[in-house]
Amino acid sequence: MSDATFTIVAAIVKILLIWAIALAALLPNLVWAERRGAGMIQDRPGPNRVGPFGLFQAVADVIKLFMKEDVTPTYVDKLLYNLAPWITMMPALVTFAVIPFGAPLDVTLGGVTRHVPLIIADVNIGILYIFAFSSLGIYGIVLAGWASNNKYSMMGGLRASAQIISYELSMGFAAASTFLVAGSLRLPAVVEWQQSHVWNVVPQFFGFLIFLIAVFAETNRLPFDLAEAEAELVAGFHTEYSAFKFGMFFMGEYANIIAASGLVVTSTSAAGRSRGSPSPASGEPSRRSPSSSRRRSRSSPSSSGSAGRSPASGTTSSWTWAGRSSSRSPSST
Amino acid sequence: MSLELVVFAIASGLAIVSALAMVVVKTPVKSVISLVLTFFALAVLSILLSAPFIAALQVIVYAGAILVLFLFVVMLLNLTQEAEGHDERPIQKLLGLVTVVALGGLLLGVTLKAGAPPVPAAGGPIGNVTDEIPILGRLLFSDHLLAFEALSVLLLLAAVGALILSKRRFD
Repeated sequence: MSDATFTIVAAIVKILLIWAIALAALLPNLVWAERRGAGMIQDRPGPNRVGPFGLFQAVADVIKLFMKEDVTPTYVDKLLYNLAPWITMMPALVTFAVIPFGAPLDVTLGGVTRHVPLIIADVNIGILYIFAFSSLGIYGIVLAGWASNNKYSMMGGLRASAQIISYELSMGFAAASTFLVAGSLRLPAVVEWQQSHVWNVVPQFFGFLIFLIAVFAETNRLPFDLAEAEAELVAGFHTEYSAFKFGMFFMGEYANIIAASGLVVTSTSAAGRSRGSPSPASGEPSRRSPSSSRRRSRSSPSSSGSAGRSPASGTTSSWTWAGRSSSRSPSST
Repeated sequence: MSLELVVFAIASGLAIVSALAMVVVKTPVKSVISLVLTFFALAVLSILLSAPFIAALQVIVYAGAILVLFLFVVMLLNLTQEAEGHDERPIQKLLGLVTVVALGGLLLGVTLKAGAPPVPAAGGPIGNVTDEIPILGRLLFSDHLLAFEALSVLLLLAAVGALILSKRRFD
Protein backbone atom coordinates (compact mmCIF):
# COMPACT_ATOMS: atom_id res chain seq x y z
CA MET A 1 0.00 0.00 0.00
CA SER A 2 1.52 3.29 -1.06
CA ASP A 3 1.64 6.38 1.13
CA ALA A 4 -1.05 8.17 -0.84
CA THR A 5 -3.46 5.25 -0.71
CA PHE A 6 -2.81 4.84 2.97
CA THR A 7 -3.55 8.50 3.64
CA ILE A 8 -6.82 8.34 1.75
CA VAL A 9 -7.91 5.10 3.40
CA ALA A 10 -6.96 6.45 6.83
CA ALA A 11 -8.93 9.65 6.19
CA ILE A 12 -12.02 7.70 5.13
CA VAL A 13 -11.75 5.40 8.14
CA LYS A 14 -11.41 8.42 10.45
CA ILE A 15 -14.43 10.16 8.91
CA LEU A 16 -16.61 7.06 9.17
CA LEU A 17 -15.40 6.41 12.69
CA ILE A 18 -16.21 9.92 13.91
CA TRP A 19 -19.63 9.93 12.31
CA ALA A 20 -20.36 6.49 13.68
CA ILE A 21 -19.32 7.49 17.20
CA ALA A 22 -21.18 10.79 17.06
CA LEU A 23 -24.38 9.63 15.42
CA ALA A 24 -24.73 6.07 16.61
CA ALA A 25 -23.13 6.14 20.05
CA LEU A 26 -23.21 9.67 21.47
CA LEU A 27 -26.37 11.07 19.91
CA PRO A 28 -28.92 8.49 21.18
CA ASN A 29 -27.46 8.62 24.68
CA LEU A 30 -27.55 12.41 24.63
CA VAL A 31 -31.22 12.36 23.68
CA TRP A 32 -31.89 9.76 26.35
CA ALA A 33 -30.04 11.73 29.03
CA GLU A 34 -31.90 14.91 28.18
CA ARG A 35 -35.32 13.28 28.18
CA ARG A 36 -34.71 11.33 31.37
CA GLY A 37 -33.24 14.43 33.00
CA ALA A 38 -36.23 16.53 32.00
CA GLY A 39 -38.45 13.75 33.32
CA MET A 40 -36.65 13.75 36.65
CA ILE A 41 -36.97 17.52 36.94
CA GLN A 42 -40.66 17.40 36.11
CA ASP A 43 -41.32 14.53 38.53
CA ARG A 44 -42.19 11.92 35.91
CA PRO A 45 -40.23 8.85 34.78
CA GLY A 46 -39.44 9.87 31.21
CA PRO A 47 -38.91 7.23 28.52
CA ASN A 48 -38.28 3.99 30.42
CA ARG A 49 -39.91 1.23 28.38
CA VAL A 50 -37.64 0.40 25.43
CA GLY A 51 -34.60 -1.49 26.59
CA PRO A 52 -32.93 -1.18 30.01
CA PHE A 53 -33.84 2.21 31.55
CA GLY A 54 -35.33 3.19 28.21
CA LEU A 55 -31.87 3.37 26.64
CA PHE A 56 -33.08 2.16 23.24
CA GLN A 57 -35.82 4.76 23.01
CA ALA A 58 -33.82 6.75 20.43
CA VAL A 59 -33.50 3.69 18.19
CA ALA A 60 -37.25 3.15 18.33
CA ASP A 61 -37.80 6.83 17.60
CA VAL A 62 -35.54 6.77 14.56
CA ILE A 63 -37.31 3.71 13.16
CA LYS A 64 -40.64 5.40 13.76
CA LEU A 65 -39.49 8.59 11.99
CA PHE A 66 -38.33 6.62 8.97
CA MET A 67 -41.59 4.70 8.73
CA LYS A 68 -43.94 7.64 9.02
CA GLU A 69 -45.57 9.31 6.07
CA ASP A 70 -43.65 12.35 4.85
CA VAL A 71 -46.27 15.08 4.60
CA THR A 72 -45.46 18.14 2.51
CA PRO A 73 -48.01 20.93 3.03
CA THR A 74 -49.51 22.38 -0.15
CA TYR A 75 -48.46 26.00 0.11
CA VAL A 76 -44.83 25.60 1.07
CA ASP A 77 -41.91 26.75 -1.04
CA LYS A 78 -40.94 23.28 -2.27
CA LEU A 79 -37.26 23.93 -3.02
CA LEU A 80 -36.33 25.65 0.22
CA TYR A 81 -38.64 23.47 2.29
CA ASN A 82 -36.83 20.34 1.14
CA LEU A 83 -33.39 21.93 1.32
CA ALA A 84 -33.64 23.30 4.86
CA PRO A 85 -33.13 20.02 6.80
CA TRP A 86 -30.00 19.27 4.78
CA ILE A 87 -28.60 22.72 5.43
CA THR A 88 -29.09 22.14 9.17
CA MET A 89 -27.51 18.70 9.11
CA MET A 90 -24.49 19.40 6.89
CA PRO A 91 -22.51 21.97 8.97
CA ALA A 92 -22.79 19.84 12.10
CA LEU A 93 -21.26 16.84 10.36
CA VAL A 94 -18.58 18.88 8.60
CA THR A 95 -17.45 20.57 11.81
CA PHE A 96 -16.08 17.29 13.20
CA ALA A 97 -13.26 17.48 10.64
CA VAL A 98 -11.08 19.87 12.63
CA ILE A 99 -11.73 18.61 16.17
CA PRO A 100 -8.89 16.36 17.36
CA PHE A 101 -10.15 13.19 18.96
CA GLY A 102 -6.91 11.59 20.06
CA ALA A 103 -3.16 11.80 20.16
CA PRO A 104 -1.29 10.74 17.00
CA LEU A 105 -1.27 7.02 16.52
CA ASP A 106 1.49 4.81 15.10
CA VAL A 107 0.05 2.24 12.76
CA THR A 108 2.11 -0.65 11.43
CA LEU A 109 0.75 -2.17 8.29
CA GLY A 110 2.74 -4.59 6.18
CA GLY A 111 5.98 -3.85 8.05
CA VAL A 112 5.77 -0.08 7.54
CA THR A 113 4.97 2.11 10.52
CA ARG A 114 3.14 5.30 9.76
CA HIS A 115 2.13 8.21 11.93
CA VAL A 116 -1.62 8.85 11.90
CA PRO A 117 -2.84 12.08 13.53
CA LEU A 118 -6.28 11.46 15.00
CA ILE A 119 -7.88 14.47 13.38
CA ILE A 120 -9.43 14.45 9.95
CA ALA A 121 -8.06 17.76 8.65
CA ASP A 122 -5.45 19.64 10.63
CA VAL A 123 -6.05 22.97 8.89
CA ASN A 124 -4.33 26.04 10.22
CA ILE A 125 -7.62 27.94 10.52
CA GLY A 126 -9.35 25.25 12.59
CA ILE A 127 -11.40 27.51 14.85
CA LEU A 128 -12.43 29.85 12.02
CA TYR A 129 -13.53 26.81 10.04
CA ILE A 130 -15.82 25.78 12.88
CA PHE A 131 -17.30 29.25 13.19
CA ALA A 132 -17.77 29.53 9.44
CA PHE A 133 -19.78 26.34 9.24
CA SER A 134 -21.71 26.86 12.46
CA SER A 135 -22.78 30.26 11.15
CA LEU A 136 -24.02 28.60 7.95
CA GLY A 137 -26.14 26.16 9.93
CA ILE A 138 -28.57 28.90 10.94
CA TYR A 139 -29.79 29.21 7.34
CA GLY A 140 -31.43 25.82 7.69
CA ILE A 141 -33.55 27.02 10.61
CA VAL A 142 -34.37 30.39 9.07
CA LEU A 143 -35.29 28.92 5.70
CA ALA A 144 -37.36 26.18 7.29
CA GLY A 145 -39.31 28.88 9.08
CA TRP A 146 -39.80 30.95 5.96
CA ALA A 147 -40.49 28.17 3.46
CA SER A 148 -43.14 26.54 5.65
CA ASN A 149 -45.52 29.44 4.94
CA ASN A 150 -46.77 29.37 8.50
CA LYS A 151 -46.64 32.29 10.91
CA TYR A 152 -45.53 30.17 13.85
CA SER A 153 -42.69 28.70 11.82
CA MET A 154 -41.76 32.18 10.64
CA MET A 155 -41.63 33.54 14.19
CA GLY A 156 -39.52 30.58 15.23
CA GLY A 157 -37.11 31.14 12.36
CA LEU A 158 -36.79 34.85 13.14
CA ARG A 159 -36.19 34.19 16.81
CA ALA A 160 -33.60 31.53 16.02
CA SER A 161 -31.69 33.84 13.71
CA ALA A 162 -31.77 36.73 16.19
CA GLN A 163 -30.58 34.47 18.99
CA ILE A 164 -27.79 32.84 17.04
CA ILE A 165 -26.47 36.14 15.72
CA SER A 166 -26.34 37.63 19.20
CA TYR A 167 -24.67 34.71 20.93
CA GLU A 168 -22.19 34.04 18.16
CA LEU A 169 -20.25 37.16 19.17
CA SER A 170 -19.78 36.13 22.78
CA MET A 171 -18.91 32.59 21.74
CA GLY A 172 -16.35 33.89 19.26
CA PHE A 173 -14.68 36.14 21.82
CA ALA A 174 -14.65 33.46 24.50
CA ALA A 175 -13.06 31.01 22.09
CA ALA A 176 -10.64 33.61 20.75
CA SER A 177 -9.06 34.11 24.18
CA THR A 178 -7.97 30.48 24.31
CA PHE A 179 -6.47 30.69 20.85
CA LEU A 180 -4.70 33.97 21.55
CA VAL A 181 -2.94 32.34 24.48
CA ALA A 182 -1.88 29.33 22.44
CA GLY A 183 -0.82 31.51 19.53
CA SER A 184 -2.44 29.36 16.90
CA LEU A 185 -5.85 28.75 15.41
CA ARG A 186 -5.25 24.99 15.19
CA LEU A 187 -7.12 23.00 17.80
CA PRO A 188 -4.29 20.47 18.29
CA ALA A 189 -1.93 23.37 19.04
CA VAL A 190 -4.32 24.62 21.73
CA VAL A 191 -4.49 21.18 23.33
CA GLU A 192 -0.71 20.96 23.20
CA TRP A 193 -0.30 24.34 24.85
CA GLN A 194 -2.66 23.40 27.65
CA GLN A 195 -0.77 20.19 28.19
CA SER A 196 2.51 21.97 28.71
CA HIS A 197 1.05 24.87 30.70
CA VAL A 198 -2.33 24.87 32.39
CA TRP A 199 -5.87 24.03 31.42
CA ASN A 200 -7.58 27.08 30.00
CA VAL A 201 -10.55 26.48 32.24
CA VAL A 202 -8.49 27.57 35.27
CA PRO A 203 -7.12 30.99 34.25
CA GLN A 204 -10.06 31.74 31.98
CA PHE A 205 -12.87 30.44 34.13
CA PHE A 206 -15.27 33.24 33.19
CA GLY A 207 -14.43 32.82 29.54
CA PHE A 208 -15.31 29.16 29.94
CA LEU A 209 -18.64 30.03 31.55
CA ILE A 210 -19.48 32.49 28.76
CA PHE A 211 -18.46 29.89 26.20
CA LEU A 212 -20.69 27.27 27.80
CA ILE A 213 -23.70 29.59 28.02
CA ALA A 214 -23.21 30.75 24.43
CA VAL A 215 -23.03 27.13 23.26
CA PHE A 216 -26.32 26.40 25.03
CA ALA A 217 -27.87 29.35 23.21
CA GLU A 218 -26.31 28.47 19.87
CA THR A 219 -27.65 24.95 19.98
CA ASN A 220 -31.14 26.07 21.08
CA ARG A 221 -31.09 24.17 24.36
CA LEU A 222 -33.14 25.09 27.39
CA PRO A 223 -33.40 27.79 28.69
CA PHE A 224 -32.63 29.27 25.27
CA ASP A 225 -35.23 27.32 23.25
CA LEU A 226 -37.00 30.46 22.04
CA ALA A 227 -36.90 29.12 18.50
CA GLU A 228 -39.17 26.22 19.41
CA ALA A 229 -41.06 27.58 22.39
CA GLU A 230 -43.74 24.89 22.47
CA ALA A 231 -45.98 26.99 24.67
CA GLU A 232 -46.31 29.83 22.14
CA LEU A 233 -45.19 28.64 18.72
CA VAL A 234 -46.54 25.08 18.45
CA ALA A 235 -43.08 23.75 17.57
CA GLY A 236 -41.38 26.79 16.09
CA PHE A 237 -39.47 26.45 12.86
CA HIS A 238 -40.22 22.75 12.35
CA THR A 239 -43.97 22.93 12.92
CA GLU A 240 -44.72 21.85 9.34
CA TYR A 241 -42.09 19.13 9.17
CA SER A 242 -42.78 15.48 9.73
CA ALA A 243 -41.17 12.08 9.47
CA PHE A 244 -37.67 11.92 7.97
CA LYS A 245 -37.23 15.66 7.54
CA PHE A 246 -38.14 16.32 11.14
CA GLY A 247 -35.69 13.58 12.08
CA MET A 248 -32.95 15.38 10.19
CA PHE A 249 -33.58 18.61 12.12
CA PHE A 250 -33.52 16.62 15.32
CA MET A 251 -30.28 14.82 14.47
CA GLY A 252 -28.67 17.98 13.15
CA GLU A 253 -29.44 19.74 16.41
CA TYR A 254 -27.89 17.01 18.52
CA ALA A 255 -24.92 16.60 16.18
CA ASN A 256 -24.38 20.33 16.67
CA ILE A 257 -24.37 19.84 20.43
CA ILE A 258 -21.78 17.07 20.14
CA ALA A 259 -19.55 19.18 17.89
CA ALA A 260 -19.86 22.21 20.16
CA SER A 261 -19.05 20.07 23.20
CA GLY A 262 -15.99 18.79 21.39
CA LEU A 263 -14.92 22.38 20.78
CA VAL A 264 -15.49 23.35 24.42
CA VAL A 265 -13.55 20.36 25.73
CA THR A 266 -10.57 20.72 23.40
CA SER A 267 -10.23 24.46 23.85
CA THR A 268 -10.59 24.58 27.62
CA SER A 269 -9.00 21.35 28.78
CA ALA A 270 -6.02 19.33 27.67
CA ALA A 271 -7.98 16.20 27.00
CA GLY A 272 -5.26 13.59 26.77
CA ARG A 273 -3.23 14.58 29.83
CA SER A 274 -1.43 11.95 31.82
CA ARG A 275 -3.53 9.84 34.13
CA GLY A 276 -3.76 10.63 37.83
CA SER A 277 -3.75 14.38 37.54
CA PRO A 278 -6.65 16.04 39.30
CA SER A 279 -9.43 17.10 36.99
CA PRO A 280 -10.11 20.81 37.39
CA ALA A 281 -12.94 20.69 34.87
CA SER A 282 -15.25 18.30 36.63
CA GLY A 283 -18.38 20.22 35.71
CA GLU A 284 -17.67 19.94 32.06
CA PRO A 285 -19.79 17.93 29.65
CA SER A 286 -16.76 15.90 28.62
CA ARG A 287 -18.86 12.76 28.63
CA ARG A 288 -20.54 13.98 25.47
CA SER A 289 -17.42 14.83 23.56
CA PRO A 290 -15.42 12.84 21.06
CA SER A 291 -12.61 12.86 23.60
CA SER A 292 -14.47 10.37 25.72
CA SER A 293 -13.45 7.67 23.29
CA ARG A 294 -9.88 8.56 24.02
CA ARG A 295 -10.37 8.23 27.76
CA ARG A 296 -11.86 4.82 27.27
CA SER A 297 -9.02 3.63 25.11
CA ARG A 298 -6.49 4.68 27.72
CA SER A 299 -7.58 1.98 30.06
CA SER A 300 -7.48 -0.74 27.43
CA PRO A 301 -4.36 -2.88 27.47
CA SER A 302 -1.71 -1.68 25.07
CA SER A 303 -1.05 -4.25 22.41
CA SER A 304 1.41 -4.25 19.55
CA GLY A 305 1.28 -1.57 16.92
CA SER A 306 -0.47 -3.78 14.40
CA ALA A 307 -3.69 -3.61 16.34
CA GLY A 308 -5.42 -1.61 13.67
CA ARG A 309 -6.39 1.95 13.11
CA SER A 310 -9.25 2.32 15.51
CA PRO A 311 -8.49 4.54 18.51
CA ALA A 312 -10.71 2.36 20.62
CA SER A 313 -8.30 -0.52 20.20
CA GLY A 314 -4.89 -0.70 21.81
CA THR A 315 -2.41 2.01 21.03
CA THR A 316 1.31 2.21 21.37
CA SER A 317 1.77 5.94 21.19
CA SER A 318 2.69 7.87 24.27
CA TRP A 319 -0.06 10.25 25.26
CA THR A 320 1.44 13.46 24.07
CA TRP A 321 0.89 15.65 21.11
CA ALA A 322 4.57 15.63 20.32
CA GLY A 323 5.69 14.95 16.80
CA ARG A 324 2.83 16.83 15.27
CA SER A 325 5.14 18.94 13.17
CA SER A 326 6.26 15.85 11.34
CA SER A 327 2.77 14.49 11.13
CA ARG A 328 0.88 17.41 9.68
CA SER A 329 -2.08 16.07 7.85
CA PRO A 330 -1.55 16.15 4.10
CA SER A 331 -4.83 17.99 3.71
CA SER A 332 -3.68 20.87 5.88
CA THR A 333 -3.34 23.42 3.10
CA MET B 1 -6.90 17.82 -16.10
CA SER B 2 -5.83 18.31 -12.55
CA LEU B 3 -8.11 18.15 -9.55
CA GLU B 4 -7.46 21.82 -8.93
CA LEU B 5 -8.87 22.71 -12.33
CA VAL B 6 -11.98 20.64 -11.73
CA VAL B 7 -12.61 22.35 -8.38
CA PHE B 8 -11.95 25.74 -9.97
CA ALA B 9 -14.41 25.05 -12.78
CA ILE B 10 -17.12 23.93 -10.38
CA ALA B 11 -16.60 26.79 -7.93
CA SER B 12 -16.38 29.53 -10.53
CA GLY B 13 -19.35 28.14 -12.44
CA LEU B 14 -21.36 28.05 -9.22
CA ALA B 15 -20.28 31.61 -8.41
CA ILE B 16 -21.39 32.93 -11.80
CA VAL B 17 -24.67 31.02 -11.91
CA SER B 18 -25.67 31.93 -8.36
CA ALA B 19 -24.68 35.58 -8.89
CA LEU B 20 -26.93 35.64 -11.95
CA ALA B 21 -29.70 33.95 -9.98
CA MET B 22 -29.34 36.58 -7.28
CA VAL B 23 -30.29 39.28 -9.79
CA VAL B 24 -32.85 37.33 -11.80
CA VAL B 25 -34.83 35.51 -9.08
CA LYS B 26 -38.02 37.34 -8.12
CA THR B 27 -38.32 36.29 -4.47
CA PRO B 28 -36.06 38.36 -2.20
CA VAL B 29 -35.40 35.44 0.15
CA LYS B 30 -34.14 33.32 -2.74
CA SER B 31 -31.97 36.24 -3.88
CA VAL B 32 -30.29 36.28 -0.49
CA ILE B 33 -29.74 32.52 -0.62
CA SER B 34 -28.17 32.83 -4.07
CA LEU B 35 -25.84 35.49 -2.72
CA VAL B 36 -24.84 33.13 0.11
CA LEU B 37 -24.02 30.50 -2.51
CA THR B 38 -21.95 33.06 -4.42
CA PHE B 39 -19.91 33.92 -1.34
CA PHE B 40 -19.44 30.25 -0.59
CA ALA B 41 -18.13 29.61 -4.10
CA LEU B 42 -15.81 32.62 -3.79
CA ALA B 43 -14.50 31.18 -0.52
CA VAL B 44 -13.67 27.95 -2.34
CA LEU B 45 -11.77 30.00 -4.93
CA SER B 46 -9.82 31.69 -2.12
CA ILE B 47 -8.87 28.27 -0.76
CA LEU B 48 -7.62 27.33 -4.23
CA LEU B 49 -5.39 30.42 -4.08
CA SER B 50 -4.05 29.00 -0.77
CA ALA B 51 -5.62 31.76 1.27
CA PRO B 52 -7.79 29.75 3.69
CA PHE B 53 -7.89 32.62 6.16
CA ILE B 54 -9.57 34.91 3.63
CA ALA B 55 -11.95 32.10 2.74
CA ALA B 56 -12.94 31.57 6.37
CA LEU B 57 -13.43 35.29 6.92
CA GLN B 58 -15.52 35.51 3.76
CA VAL B 59 -17.87 32.81 5.01
CA ILE B 60 -17.98 34.06 8.61
CA VAL B 61 -18.44 37.75 7.88
CA TYR B 62 -20.47 37.79 4.68
CA ALA B 63 -22.32 34.49 4.52
CA GLY B 64 -22.62 34.03 8.27
CA ALA B 65 -23.29 37.50 9.60
CA ILE B 66 -24.22 40.14 7.04
CA LEU B 67 -26.48 38.00 4.89
CA VAL B 68 -28.24 36.58 7.92
CA LEU B 69 -29.13 40.17 8.78
CA PHE B 70 -30.32 40.70 5.20
CA LEU B 71 -32.46 37.60 5.44
CA PHE B 72 -33.73 38.73 8.81
CA VAL B 73 -34.85 42.10 7.43
CA VAL B 74 -36.32 40.60 4.25
CA MET B 75 -38.30 38.08 6.29
CA LEU B 76 -39.35 40.63 8.87
CA LEU B 77 -40.74 43.00 6.21
CA ASN B 78 -42.14 39.98 4.38
CA LEU B 79 -41.20 41.29 0.95
CA THR B 80 -42.89 38.51 -0.97
CA GLN B 81 -45.09 40.82 -3.03
CA GLU B 82 -42.14 42.34 -4.87
CA ALA B 83 -42.63 39.76 -7.59
CA GLU B 84 -45.38 41.85 -9.19
CA GLY B 85 -42.80 44.27 -10.53
CA HIS B 86 -44.58 47.56 -10.05
CA ASP B 87 -43.23 51.00 -10.84
CA GLU B 88 -40.96 49.93 -13.68
CA ARG B 89 -39.91 52.77 -15.95
CA PRO B 90 -38.45 52.27 -19.42
CA ILE B 91 -35.37 54.32 -18.60
CA GLN B 92 -34.47 51.86 -15.82
CA LYS B 93 -33.54 49.14 -18.26
CA LEU B 94 -31.58 51.52 -20.47
CA LEU B 95 -29.60 52.88 -17.53
CA GLY B 96 -28.97 49.36 -16.28
CA LEU B 97 -27.68 48.26 -19.67
CA VAL B 98 -25.33 51.26 -19.94
CA THR B 99 -23.94 50.61 -16.46
CA VAL B 100 -23.44 46.93 -17.15
CA VAL B 101 -21.62 47.59 -20.43
CA ALA B 102 -19.41 50.27 -18.88
CA LEU B 103 -18.49 48.20 -15.81
CA GLY B 104 -18.04 45.02 -17.80
CA GLY B 105 -15.86 46.78 -20.36
CA LEU B 106 -13.74 48.26 -17.60
CA LEU B 107 -13.28 44.90 -15.90
CA LEU B 108 -12.53 43.11 -19.17
CA GLY B 109 -10.04 45.77 -20.24
CA VAL B 110 -8.18 45.71 -16.94
CA THR B 111 -8.10 41.91 -16.88
CA LEU B 112 -6.77 41.72 -20.42
CA LYS B 113 -4.18 44.42 -19.87
CA ALA B 114 -2.78 43.05 -16.64
CA GLY B 115 -0.59 40.03 -17.22
CA ALA B 116 -0.12 37.13 -14.88
CA PRO B 117 0.42 38.26 -11.28
CA PRO B 118 3.99 38.03 -9.99
CA VAL B 119 4.58 34.81 -8.12
CA PRO B 120 6.61 35.34 -4.93
CA ALA B 121 9.77 33.29 -4.88
CA ALA B 122 9.75 30.37 -2.49
CA GLY B 123 11.51 31.29 0.72
CA GLY B 124 10.70 34.94 0.27
CA PRO B 125 8.77 36.96 2.82
CA ILE B 126 5.48 35.22 1.99
CA GLY B 127 6.58 32.09 0.21
CA ASN B 128 6.95 28.74 1.92
CA VAL B 129 4.75 29.60 4.84
CA THR B 130 2.24 27.26 6.41
CA ASP B 131 0.79 29.63 8.98
CA GLU B 132 -0.17 32.87 7.34
CA ILE B 133 -2.16 34.42 10.17
CA PRO B 134 0.73 35.65 12.39
CA ILE B 135 2.29 37.23 9.31
CA LEU B 136 -0.97 38.94 8.47
CA GLY B 137 -1.30 40.24 12.00
CA ARG B 138 2.27 41.53 12.06
CA LEU B 139 1.77 43.30 8.72
CA LEU B 140 -1.51 44.85 9.88
CA PHE B 141 0.01 46.25 13.04
CA SER B 142 3.29 47.47 11.56
CA ASP B 143 3.35 48.43 7.87
CA HIS B 144 -0.36 49.07 7.47
CA LEU B 145 -1.10 50.39 10.93
CA LEU B 146 -2.40 53.77 9.71
CA ALA B 147 -4.76 52.26 7.15
CA PHE B 148 -5.91 49.70 9.70
CA GLU B 149 -6.72 52.34 12.30
CA ALA B 150 -8.38 54.57 9.71
CA LEU B 151 -10.59 51.66 8.69
CA SER B 152 -11.59 50.97 12.26
CA VAL B 153 -12.49 54.65 12.76
CA LEU B 154 -14.56 54.46 9.57
CA LEU B 155 -16.40 51.40 10.87
CA LEU B 156 -17.05 53.14 14.18
CA LEU B 157 -18.41 56.19 12.33
CA ALA B 158 -20.70 53.95 10.28
CA ALA B 159 -22.04 52.28 13.42
CA VAL B 160 -22.61 55.62 15.18
CA GLY B 161 -24.19 57.05 12.04
CA ALA B 162 -26.61 54.14 11.74
CA LEU B 163 -27.53 54.59 15.38
CA ILE B 164 -28.23 58.31 14.93
CA LEU B 165 -30.19 57.82 11.71
CA SER B 166 -32.42 55.20 13.28
CA LYS B 167 -32.93 57.16 16.48
CA ARG B 168 -33.73 60.65 15.36
CA ARG B 169 -35.11 62.07 18.55
CA PHE B 170 -33.00 62.14 21.66
CA ASP B 171 -34.65 62.73 24.96
